[in-house]
Amino acid sequence: MSMTKVEAIIQPSKLEPVKEALLEIGVEGMTILEVRGHGRQKGHTEIYRGREYTVDLLPKIKLELVLADEMVDRAVQTIVSVTRTGRIGDGKIFLSRIDDAIRIRNDERGVTAL
Amino acid sequence: MSVLSSSSEVRETYEDGLARLRKEFEASGSGTAVVHGRSQLVDQVIRRCYEHLVEQGAVPSNCVAIVALGGYGRRALFPHSDVDLLFLFKDSREEATHKDALSRVYLDLWDLKIRASATARTVAECGRFDPENMEFTVSTLDSRFLLGDTELFERVRTKTLPGLLRKSGGTLLTSVAESARSRHHKFANTIYHLEPNVKEGPGGVRDYNLACWLALVSYFRRAQSWPENGSLFEPRLQSELDSAVEFLFSLRSFLHYRNGRDDNLLSWEAQDAAAANGIGVRRQAMDTAQWMRSYFRHARLVAGVAIQLLEELPPRKASFKTTLGRWRARKSNGDLSIVAGAIVLPKGYPTSEYPSLLNVFVRMARQELRLGIDAQRAITQAIPQLDASKAAQSLWPYLRRILISRHAADALRAMRDCGLLDALIPEFKLIDALVIRDFFHRYTVDEHSFLTIETLHALRAATAEWKKRFAEILGELERPELLFLSLLLHDVGKAIEGEDHVTASLTSAREVLTRLGLPPEEGETVEFLIQNHLEMSAVMRRDVFEAKVVGALAERVGTPEMLKMLTLLTYGDISSVNPEAMTEWKAENLWHVYVATSNFLNRHVDEERVHGTLDRQSLTRFGTLPSLLMRDLEGFIDGLPQRYLRTYGSEQVLKHLELASRLWQQPVQVVLAPHRNLYELTVVTRDKPFLFAALAGALSAWGMEIVKANAFSNSKGTVIDCFYFKDRFRTLDLNPSEHERIKKDISEVVRGDRSLEHLIRARSGFKSMHRARVKIETKVTIDDESSAHSTLLEVIAQDRPGLLYRMAEVLAELKCNIEIALIDTEGEMALDVFYLTLNGGKLPQALQDSVREALQEKLNGTNQ
Repeated sequence: MSMTKVEAIIQPSKLEPVKEALLEIGVEGMTILEVRGHGRQKGHTEIYRGREYTVDLLPKIKLELVLADEMVDRAVQTIVSVTRTGRIGDGKIFLSRIDDAIRIRNDERGVTAL
Repeated sequence: MSVLSSSSEVRETYEDGLARLRKEFEASGSGTAVVHGRSQLVDQVIRRCYEHLVEQGAVPSNCVAIVALGGYGRRALFPHSDVDLLFLFKDSREEATHKDALSRVYLDLWDLKIRASATARTVAECGRFDPENMEFTVSTLDSRFLLGDTELFERVRTKTLPGLLRKSGGTLLTSVAESARSRHHKFANTIYHLEPNVKEGPGGVRDYNLACWLALVSYFRRAQSWPENGSLFEPRLQSELDSAVEFLFSLRSFLHYRNGRDDNLLSWEAQDAAAANGIGVRRQAMDTAQWMRSYFRHARLVAGVAIQLLEELPPRKASFKTTLGRWRARKSNGDLSIVAGAIVLPKGYPTSEYPSLLNVFVRMARQELRLGIDAQRAITQAIPQLDASKAAQSLWPYLRRILISRHAADALRAMRDCGLLDALIPEFKLIDALVIRDFFHRYTVDEHSFLTIETLHALRAATAEWKKRFAEILGELERPELLFLSLLLHDVGKAIEGEDHVTASLTSAREVLTRLGLPPEEGETVEFLIQNHLEMSAVMRRDVFEAKVVGALAERVGTPEMLKMLTLLTYGDISSVNPEAMTEWKAENLWHVYVATSNFLNRHVDEERVHGTLDRQSLTRFGTLPSLLMRDLEGFIDGLPQRYLRTYGSEQVLKHLELASRLWQQPVQVVLAPHRNLYELTVVTRDKPFLFAALAGALSAWGMEIVKANAFSNSKGTVIDCFYFKDRFRTLDLNPSEHERIKKDISEVVRGDRSLEHLIRARSGFKSMHRARVKIETKVTIDDESSAHSTLLEVIAQDRPGLLYRMAEVLAELKCNIEIALIDTEGEMALDVFYLTLNGGKLPQALQDSVREALQEKLNGTNQ
């Protein structure tokens, strides 16, 4: 059985709902990173005291999950359904193949190590 | 091969002995008995081994001295502590000949599951100090002779070690101190961890050992001999330390038994178990929170003694600055003396009087100082005799000074350590050293609260850009003490079960505020901050680029000042959860929320106006008014923006109402009063063209520097204008008679009885050179979107005398009506927002352009 890494860049406000929704379909393990970046959305400018205060790298959350292939579609659908607002800046999901996984505690390998 | 592998007798004696010790510990709970008992058992094992070796002829009887080092040397072997041994030889030849044979002793210990490490040294080698391995020299300070050649050991004790201390004692002390400081630093320099390490953590067993080494070495360097009776501390302190040590020894023994290894982390589960077993408290089962308090009490003493001795070490190189600092500190204050950074109370210092007692802590808050052990004891003993209710009225002025000073957190910690904080604010007692279990917090509730205060004060010295922004708004607060008081009290409800902690904290805080006697408006601010202390964190989890989210927060906080305080409170609160909790990413988010909300507040002031009746919250503020007055009030505030009610307290609003009701007698009502370090000028009158310009002009003609101003008008066309200004030439400060004259001038100019030009000419003597330190570019922004009724004009410009007058004059000449004015100054920068209308509506595009051009021209043209 093979595995896929799902990396989702989402709005910080969507973290909690996504976590809950993933838990509901049985995805328990994930890595959450506080990241900054922008796609075509570019920055956001506010003027504060006459100085332009530009947030050119917007705060985002990056979720990383490694899943058994059969779970991937459901997980992706779940993330999309929770995070989609239709506006620019909703985020992106990247999928990539994973060769192997090793549980450090007991050397288990492959899907069972997830 | 080991010597005793065949001898089951030694093994049985040792294992039976261990079992007996454990049983006795379970009955008596005495840690000292455990550590002494195990040392004795290990002594026996080593003796039997050595005797076997000698009997077998493997080694001659007097070739070596076997010496116990470190904890074993002190007879303090915890159930799973390592055993450190020294094989001491006359010279390297002896060492080479017998070392291997003797190593069998060491193997035997391993066979008995005793984790031993042994070092072989010649007498001469013991006299060499190796900075890379100072642990060895430190462990020889605790050496104890076990077996073999006594003379060798005596030589080391009476000659070699003293020689080493005379030669390298200073270096030894410095390296011991450095390693202790870096160990403390790993634990964030606090004992108040939710899960403390009872060995390595501040106030743990290692700190006690540290204190003993420092005391021993210092004693030796003074007396040039080892202490006679073995006691290093004066009798009273020694007996306090003894009971702390007994507690720590029992606890660490308990943890070793419980974990089956040398694991010294007092986890939450272990806390429950230790409390239930009454560890360290004579086997009396206890509530966990209560038991943890006794742990912290003992740890605090141990840490206090260790730190005091560390601080008393002579600095390696006394710089001129520190020498001068010490000299000054000693000279500058007659009643408190400072010795090596610690406050020492002179004999007869009135600890029984609150002012002098509180002054100790005011001093601590202002200067980086510790409270000496003796001073701490004197204050601790004085507290039960004090009448805390007497202090209540006079407490706030002192507490206020403590809170706003740079080292507030240290002073508050010292007050807590003496029991003074609990005595003055009994509500605080509930969270004193309170462990609340969650996965984010790392410190006890009181420590967390102190840290929030420390974090904000530390902002002033921040160098990172993302921190400096917060430092900037901290510097702008009008009443920072209210923010710090809120931080001190924001979690006092955490100990109260059942309720959510925000409500519980609010209830407790209300009682504190009443006792402190804060003016109602200030009390309301503190209550608001406590009640909403989680609000901004919640907003940060929502979409912070969403106008609705920002608008809702703006509505809740109401004024820019409150927004600043809540932002800083949130910053401090998150940062103090654990050292990694505040990331640049989070700070960026929080800052964005702040900026967006701040802009929202200034751009939507006229959206919510008061209409007819007051909402419930505002009603309660005026709750006790007679109905007739209430009707007048409702008429008066009709059409004023909500911001008006949030800017002014109920007393001020009633004062404005009173002024408005006298308008039929005297059409211009003027009140002048000191306001903090500024003056406040309130003018209530009918709206008319040029009014705002006339007021601003009259004030600048008098040489006054306008720092802030608010102008509001109600639906009847009554204007309430407040100007806050600096009396640059101290005209009003020095000449009370001038108060009436400036009021008269203002009334006359507003009524039109006197022309402004005339006044300006008459008082032109005030024109002075004004040199800008920072150059600020003029920026004029016109915003037609934010408000439904008015056109917003935002001007950022270099602050200078007469600036506001010049702007208001331009606006008046272009016939713009100023509905609302929000005038602010931050340092050299003037930040002004005007809500403008023409004939009751927004400005037409052509007029907007003229306003922009005219202002640019006027402000740039007069830029000095």
